[in-house]
Amino acid sequence: MSQKLLDVENLTMKFGGLVAIDNLSFSADKDKITSIIGPNGAGKTTVFNCLTGFYKATAGSMFLNKENERLNLRKFSDFKVAQKAGVARTFQNIRLFPQMSVLENLMVAQHNKLMDASGFTILGLFNSPSFVKKEKEAVEISKYWLDIIGLTHRADDDAGDLPYGDQRKLEIVRAMCINPHLLCLDEPAAGLNAKESAELNKLLLFIKNEKKTGILLIEHDMSVVMEISDHVVVLNYGKKIFQGSAKETKNSPEVIEAYLGTEE
Amino acid sequence: MEKKFFQTSIKDSLFTGLIALALFGPIVGLRTVAKNEVLEVHPKWFIVLIIVIVCAVGRFLTNLYVYNRDQKTGIQSSIGKSISNFLDTKGYQIALTAIIFSVIFPFLPFTDRYLMDIAIMMLTYIMLGWGLNIVIGLAGLLDLGYVAFYAVGAYSYALFAIHFGWSFWICLPIAGIFAAMFGVLLGFPVLRLRGDYLAIVTLAFGEMIRILLLNWYQLTKGPDGLTGIPRPSFFGLPFKSFPDEGEQTFHTFFGVEYDPMQRIIFLYYLILVLALITNLFTIKIRRLPIGRAWEALREDEIACKSLGVNPRNTKLTAFAIGAMFGGFAGSFFATRQAFISPESFTFIESAIIVAIVVLGGMGSQTGVVLATVFLIGLIEVFRDFESYRMIAFGGAMVLIMIFRPRGILATRKPTITLEKSSSK
Repeated sequence: MSQKLLDVENLTMKFGGLVAIDNLSFSADKDKITSIIGPNGAGKTTVFNCLTGFYKATAGSMFLNKENERLNLRKFSDFKVAQKAGVARTFQNIRLFPQMSVLENLMVAQHNKLMDASGFTILGLFNSPSFVKKEKEAVEISKYWLDIIGLTHRADDDAGDLPYGDQRKLEIVRAMCINPHLLCLDEPAAGLNAKESAELNKLLLFIKNEKKTGILLIEHDMSVVMEISDHVVVLNYGKKIFQGSAKETKNSPEVIEAYLGTEE
Repeated sequence: MEKKFFQTSIKDSLFTGLIALALFGPIVGLRTVAKNEVLEVHPKWFIVLIIVIVCAVGRFLTNLYVYNRDQKTGIQSSIGKSISNFLDTKGYQIALTAIIFSVIFPFLPFTDRYLMDIAIMMLTYIMLGWGLNIVIGLAGLLDLGYVAFYAVGAYSYALFAIHFGWSFWICLPIAGIFAAMFGVLLGFPVLRLRGDYLAIVTLAFGEMIRILLLNWYQLTKGPDGLTGIPRPSFFGLPFKSFPDEGEQTFHTFFGVEYDPMQRIIFLYYLILVLALITNLFTIKIRRLPIGRAWEALREDEIACKSLGVNPRNTKLTAFAIGAMFGGFAGSFFATRQAFISPESFTFIESAIIVAIVVLGGMGSQTGVVLATVFLIGLIEVFRDFESYRMIAFGGAMVLIMIFRPRGILATRKPTITLEKSSSK
């Protein structure tokens, strides 16, 4: 067996008669960025929803290989994918907790760890030293990530008050706060200007190189895809039509026909 | 410009007068009187005329002075602003003053039996409001059947106290646990529901409990209610004017004259302590992971799932803990009244508690207190004008919603802040 981080085999998702994903197989590497691209309605977000447990796939398997175990993601239902398997995701339309502070957003992401430390709330009610210590650590982790995206000075402001680009970055580091093995990003560059996109690239490369986290990326912004992807999977009508490096993808006639061709 | 504005204002107020005529004409103007077994119509056009003029002129004046944005003399811009500002910035001071005041309240010179009774009632509602604040304010689950847990607490306290003769301090936690169990019972079927649908199911749940209490005659004595619920004792010392032979009572133990106010004052402090425990617990639990998860769930359930937060457990704990405090308040209610019947647990109670939480500002602890004092106080003030009570109640709600659309105290403080010391 190759030691890929994620092995998706023959994944199929049907909604009634509509086949959203048709027999899709691909894999994603640890410390690599794998992009999934394709025209609108190609089934990219559906792949994410299957991976992260929001949909139950009709058929196929999705394996996540950790150091010494091989988990079938199909066996986990919604929140357990993040809790037990360590697959984090962001959303196409940002889903922060807008009326909670930036720091609180990151603390919620560390919920399970803190919940255990708070002894199902009872130890926490009495300020047990072990809980206080864990909470401090969690704040430190949050601060570490805020420093990276340069939002430390806004830590106590409502997340909903941040500018759009900062909200995107916050959502990504919030997902990183659950300490995931695989990070799934659904169009992180949508709505960003050129400068913000460049910052995003930097952040994603940092996560890939320093954190050794596998990244699965859905993106329309080709400047992002071409610049940082190690591997590109192209979908059209739920089927994989091409996979390869960014350079190969750019020159592939199938892709140009199905996807880039429609742009011009 | 000026002239045109004047014209539209006149037109608008004439139109208002017309609506008033259409509304009040038949309602107020035509009065039927039974005379010699014949129904006669006694028109009262003069009163109608007065009402119509008042409406039209009132509309004209509000047009000129309140809704006219050019002029800064509107109510909203002067008094309203300063009150709003005061409420937004001085929440903590208001809370502190309220606590000090409530501690010394029984010994103030003007405090009498009547005021004490109102204060006890208000504190019961405040405690219920704080309990429900966990469910509605923090977890964002609109629960219209909260009175069910109040009822479960009251009945389980009454039944255990009557049949087993257990003391208040043993029955209180039991009643809380029972109510919490019912909270989980309600929580399970409504896990997937949100918003309006959740409200309908919880409303039905509240009614189910009331109807159950009404019809399970063997256990609850149905509409007759439960009588002879033991009064609470001061750590084993009862409040009695004529103690039995050799029995220690509160006044013999402390060597003071017997006074019926002693029990009232004790009850007052009891509910004050219970309410403050509810408050402290909520303030504390808000800062724990579970409290933060509740608020996150209120904000966005899907995002919560993507972060591995278990929505089922989180919701159920919110229901259970909220219900538990409702149960505590219920047992206090039972021991204070010494008589309970399903009459006391109707939907209007739930509605009042929800109104308190919403008007106070969802999630705001001090807001609950202000809203309770305002609403319950208003109901009491209007006690002599029975038929106008609900009008005043509704009017007060409309006013609050106009001037403070997000509740009296709507500012939310983060549960955890980054130390600013490092950045300075």
